Amino acid sequence: MKDSPANTSLNIFPKSWSEAHAGRVPGNIPIWVGILSELTEFGIFFAAYFIAKFYYPAVFAEGPQQLNTALGVTNTIVLLTSSYFMAKAMASIRIDDRKKSERFLWLAVFCGCIYLVIKVWEFHWNDLQGFSTNTSEFFTVYYYMTFNHFLHVGWASCAILYVIFRLRSGAYSSKDNSGMEALAVYWHMIDLMWILIFPLLYVLR
Amino acid sequence: MKNFGKLEILLCLLIIVTLFNTFLGERFSSITLASIIIAATVTYKGFVVIDNFMELKEGNKNLRFLMRLYFIIFPSMIVVSAFY
Repeated sequence: MKDSPANTSLNIFPKSWSEAHAGRVPGNIPIWVGILSELTEFGIFFAAYFIAKFYYPAVFAEGPQQLNTALGVTNTIVLLTSSYFMAKAMASIRIDDRKKSERFLWLAVFCGCIYLVIKVWEFHWNDLQGFSTNTSEFFTVYYYMTFNHFLHVGWASCAILYVIFRLRSGAYSSKDNSGMEALAVYWHMIDLMWILIFPLLYVLR
Repeated sequence: MKNFGKLEILLCLLIIVTLFNTFLGERFSSITLASIIIAATVTYKGFVVIDNFMELKEGNKNLRFLMRLYFIIFPSMIVVSAFY
């Protein structure tokens, strides 16, 4: 993957940042530009959370107790499991076991769909309790963060379907799998963001 | 059990830590101490995913540094926010 066009076209960085000096880039450089942009976006959300919590500590102490914690925990486990399936899919393609790799990718999509269904159910449950974006400062931050994350899981699940299609057409092998690996690191990034969102919104008082 | 390898053990650990976090948040009386422990476990979970699932442990050291830094900065803010 070292010589793939995606990794050699951006010669704008110092030599010390190159793969030869700093180590292999999983996936490709463009996906990492995307990932670092997404991390910045979520970083702004987290900063907004902490600023709002500073000004409204009572609202943020009460907010998590009004949410359905069981659904939050279930979604965390579902996303962690999906990351595991993605890592297994990568391990399988590296030994040219395309069937196994495809099976793990389907399991990852399945987990993504379960997450989306649970999240829709949670939004519906919130609605039944009378919670909306205007209920309090906590719920404004909650909906901004969780709906944004929801969209990321949605389009990344579609991306997995595309990778499955490419895998079936023989596009990936043990020697050439940087496209699939790019999706894998993106999916793990989405999981990482939920690892931070979950305690902020569901656990901390 | 022959297929029960490192990734499976890490997944189990991550799930256990998640459940432990939830239990702490729901039952622990000291909010400050619970926040500190939760922040530490969030950092641990982040490092596990970055090193083992994203495979940055043997990967690019600059990317690994940036990713790990992210999971030091925001959990640190959890600790700070416990003292508001």
